[in-house]
Amino acid sequence: MRGATDVRRPLTQPLPLAGERRRNRFFILCVAPSLAVLAIITLLPALYLLATSFTPLNLTRPETAWDFSDPLISYRQLLTDDRLGNSIWVQVKLSFWTVTLQLLIGVALALLLNVKTRLLEALRTVYLIPMVLPPIVVAIIWKVIYTPDISPMHGIFRSLGWTVPALITDPHWALTSIIIADTWEWFPFTMLMVLAALQMLPQELLDAAKVDGASPWQLTRHVTLPFIQGVLLVAGLFRSIDSIKAFPLIYILTDGGPGSLTEVTNYYSFLQAFNFSYLGFSSAITVVLLAATIVLSWVIIRAVGWGVRVD
Amino acid sequence: MSTLRRRTVLGGALAPFAMGAAPAVHAQSGGKPYNGTTINCSCFQTTYYEYLKNYFPEFQEKTGIRVNFTMQAFPVYNQRTDLELSTKGSAIDACNITFIYSGRWIGAGWFTPLDPFLKDSKHTPADWDPDDFVSGAQSQMKNAKGETFAFTHEAGAMLNIASRYDLIEKAGLKMPETFDDLIKVCDAVDGKDNVKAFVADKLHHWNWIPYLMGNGGNVFKDPPANLTPTFASPEGIASADWYANLLMKYGPDGQLSYSDDQAMRAQMSGRANMRTQAITWGVPLVKDPESKVAKTTRFGLMPAGPKGNFPGSNSHGLGIPAGSRKKEAAWEFIKWALSKEMIARIVDKHGYPSVCRTSVIKSPKFKEVMTLNGQDLAAMYLEVLQLGGQTGYMKYRTVPVYPQVGDKINRAIDKIATKQQAAPEAMKQAQAEAIQDLKKAGFKVDG
Repeated sequence: MRGATDVRRPLTQPLPLAGERRRNRFFILCVAPSLAVLAIITLLPALYLLATSFTPLNLTRPETAWDFSDPLISYRQLLTDDRLGNSIWVQVKLSFWTVTLQLLIGVALALLLNVKTRLLEALRTVYLIPMVLPPIVVAIIWKVIYTPDISPMHGIFRSLGWTVPALITDPHWALTSIIIADTWEWFPFTMLMVLAALQMLPQELLDAAKVDGASPWQLTRHVTLPFIQGVLLVAGLFRSIDSIKAFPLIYILTDGGPGSLTEVTNYYSFLQAFNFSYLGFSSAITVVLLAATIVLSWVIIRAVGWGVRVD
Repeated sequence: MSTLRRRTVLGGALAPFAMGAAPAVHAQSGGKPYNGTTINCSCFQTTYYEYLKNYFPEFQEKTGIRVNFTMQAFPVYNQRTDLELSTKGSAIDACNITFIYSGRWIGAGWFTPLDPFLKDSKHTPADWDPDDFVSGAQSQMKNAKGETFAFTHEAGAMLNIASRYDLIEKAGLKMPETFDDLIKVCDAVDGKDNVKAFVADKLHHWNWIPYLMGNGGNVFKDPPANLTPTFASPEGIASADWYANLLMKYGPDGQLSYSDDQAMRAQMSGRANMRTQAITWGVPLVKDPESKVAKTTRFGLMPAGPKGNFPGSNSHGLGIPAGSRKKEAAWEFIKWALSKEMIARIVDKHGYPSVCRTSVIKSPKFKEVMTLNGQDLAAMYLEVLQLGGQTGYMKYRTVPVYPQVGDKINRAIDKIATKQQAAPEAMKQAQAEAIQDLKKAGFKVDG
């Protein structure tokens, strides 16, 4: 009956302390099963990863499984591993260029497509195709494009009399070829988010600016961009985190090569775990990568903020 | 107590019926002790088991064992099996021991020794003849004590395969017998008829080693006893430089990313001429209906270097994981799948070329199947396999750390070929990384 009384209470009127406690307990009870499932499927594997990183676990030597006698051995090995250092640098370059290009192309296209015509609405759907394709299919498409013998792109170049090297095995182009493919695959994500934000932009803001004599560039610079700043941050953050997980393109297109030119950190970690069986060392790399991702996200949020509320 | 008594009484009462029923059950199974048993087997994608699958109903009819056989792409199979075996689980009852992983998987105790089955006439009749398997191929399936862990179903013997021998003949030359000859032939035919003179896939740690050894180098000091890497020796550096030049000067653009299949297709479509690779990748050039070079393909032995001829050879075998709970049924399957009769049938019916049983290799049928464009490939194949078995130079490849060391070699050759690094710098760096890896794996190295 008290519950029924509470339900009829106006929302603005605070609950008595005991009632509030009961309600909180009820909410906690409701959420508890979800939290428990979440803990089992995310927290436990993460804890196992952390624990493994403190062992020298090697699949071919079972005695190393729970050997905590030298818990920092894998972390010390990280410090002296030049190839890991190289992979981090490759990762930085890949993330920087892919995220930057995806944001620029995504915003540009969203601004162009933010007009209500049938043709442009159809175009929006077409632009979304790369993003909805399975990543492995994207990788195979680009493998065909980059393989000179069967590539339509190389065929066109040849017919024009241009000699273009095989991009994925050319040291000057290998990473760029991955950047191009990744940008093609993921710019629609940024475009979609920005487009959604643009469609919520109040027309009155634009009209007011126009009345004040703002040019199209000034409208974009002072009204549109501040309005979508938060969305851009979220999109950039998602893409930054996702770029750290880049895998299928590298696996299919370059295998981390030529040499180690396109070997990013998670690919290196994969090789250590699944080709060489160094699970302890691979876990240490992954823990560091995870920590770096969290720090990076925090720094970006702190530096840029969550955007400006214009309402 | 009353429950116990009731059970005892019931048990006693039913016992005579149960005893009487046992022979009836056996009779129902038609004298097949494994009736109703299902075994799980796996291998990478290989033609032998593709062909063999057609005969599984015969095996089930004979033994009562149902075979659930899965195949995956080569790297996928190796990764999955590596993980599965490490758990010593019972998910797989019989599976392929991949050549490159044989030292690691057998050394870690992940497979069942097959000698007890072989010694027991109840399990293995004498005419099954385990000694009939080619010694060179079979040696990779044994441990240091000489125990056998698998029997081979596929062997690879490296030959020189020329898809456009007509161009070589037109230049007044013949199949190269030495490294110098190889360069001479490449110089003479490269670019003729829009055909590049040479092609290789990206697995340099398989393709380059015969050239390294032919020049007097080796991967390790004395495998498997001493695994100190030696591939950055002066011979190794010179050979790596020579090989990288061979790839870049005479190979098609983009071949550094070529898979085995892509390299074969380049030959098959007449875009590339010579390739030093396992026979398995050469036979389709003559037999595949899509091949444009069926009539112009010729085979030769791997060219020799100043220090001799070291063609690569490998073998893959079928073994029983240590965790299997159906080992006897699995052995029944291996015994049937790799019997002389079954292999001979697969050769006869499907023309399978990578046989490991000497009696089949020497049979007139195999010779007939393997006589391609007038050349007796069976003889070349056996010669290469026996060469590897006699001198043991292939032991470098089955050491447990070869996947790691091979990866360093691959990347070093890539760097030299794409001029990211000079040969001495790339090879020394790769060797230093290999030493670091060996130490990580718990191996001692000299110095």
